[in-house]
Amino acid sequence: MSAGHPPGEQESTSDEPGDLLQLPMAPRATDIALHELEIVYAFIYARVGNRADAEDLTQQVALKAIPRLREGAPASAIRGYLFATARSVLGGFWSTRLGLSESELHEDLALAVPQTPPSEERADIVQRILAELSDNYRRVLELRFLHGYSLKEVAAEMHSTVGAVKVMQLRALRAAAKVKME
Amino acid sequence: MNKPENRVDKIVSDLLHGRRLKLRGGDAEEKAAITAAARLVAARQGPQRMNPAFRKRLEQALESAPTEPWLTRRAALVAGFGLAAGAVTGGLLGRAMEPPAVATRIAGGDPINPIPGKWVDVAAISDLVEGQGQRVTAGSVSAFLFRRGESVTAVSSICSHLPCELWWNRGQGLLACPCHPASFTPEGKSTDTTYPLPALNTVHVRVTPAGRVEVLGTD
Repeated sequence: MSAGHPPGEQESTSDEPGDLLQLPMAPRATDIALHELEIVYAFIYARVGNRADAEDLTQQVALKAIPRLREGAPASAIRGYLFATARSVLGGFWSTRLGLSESELHEDLALAVPQTPPSEERADIVQRILAELSDNYRRVLELRFLHGYSLKEVAAEMHSTVGAVKVMQLRALRAAAKVKME
Repeated sequence: MNKPENRVDKIVSDLLHGRRLKLRGGDAEEKAAITAAARLVAARQGPQRMNPAFRKRLEQALESAPTEPWLTRRAALVAGFGLAAGAVTGGLLGRAMEPPAVATRIAGGDPINPIPGKWVDVAAISDLVEGQGQRVTAGSVSAFLFRRGESVTAVSSICSHLPCELWWNRGQGLLACPCHPASFTPEGKSTDTTYPLPALNTVHVRVTPAGRVEVLGTD
């Protein structure tokens, strides 16, 4: 009738598979985690677009997740836990910076589960996104993001004004955000 | 400068120059454009690897981490040490404060053994609906009860990842976390097969001959 075992009478569950928490960490597990953190770093960088934020967030993931990893856990389990933590850390990053609740972020920000390992996220994703856009939007993003043009240079190239290019850039980014990236 | 195209262009310029994302609350309206810009900048550069200096700093930080058992924020909540939770975030709680049965063995799916424990009457078994979770509290221990015939099982109502109270999603038949996209079966197992989380702690529960459901909690 009882679903659990009172203290002192319970069966040991310490060998149950699939659970992660056990401390302290052994060096081998640390090595695995460091290797996996390279992939986590790439995953985070791909979403924040700059090194300083990516490093801060990766460190947060490491300090939050690693003390909770179980010694002897397989790399896949360690990766899973690190990525679950990375998603939470990224959610916290965006919600804090933008003043939004995380529930408002799930659909369009960093919390979606990638379908492929982050290390295989391809650099040509830019081309996939641009291909979905109208000619003007594609052109402004190509010049700005791929060729590194300033707004003034983009305006000259497109025979337009800086103000108009700024507006077009914003609209192009909004359109790019709607392109399925993963 | 407050026009959205100006704000977003400033963010784009920063990203293109390798600078941090400097955002403020007013930028929320353009969150989609901002995150698209960040992804475009990152994608242009391809998958990134850690800078060697950063990797070394990270290794040093991890190597210097305490080797003593830690008390996690979640464990603190589960054990009813909510007030101590802030103090132990990312740090080691003094050994003198560790509740022995919890801090020395913190594993997902393990039963919660409150100290001092006390069986607390929480419901009549006839009140429980088969297949539906029922949240109860027994002192500082909160749990979801699940009836199967004449037996009852219980799991902690605290998420195994973030210290948030789960809620019963009746439509999906799952325990859902309000703090991040995570859910658990009535048995406490994570439903995310890609990134499985630790199982929920189980909670001791029994049904008395009189048909009352009791949970091992605290005063």
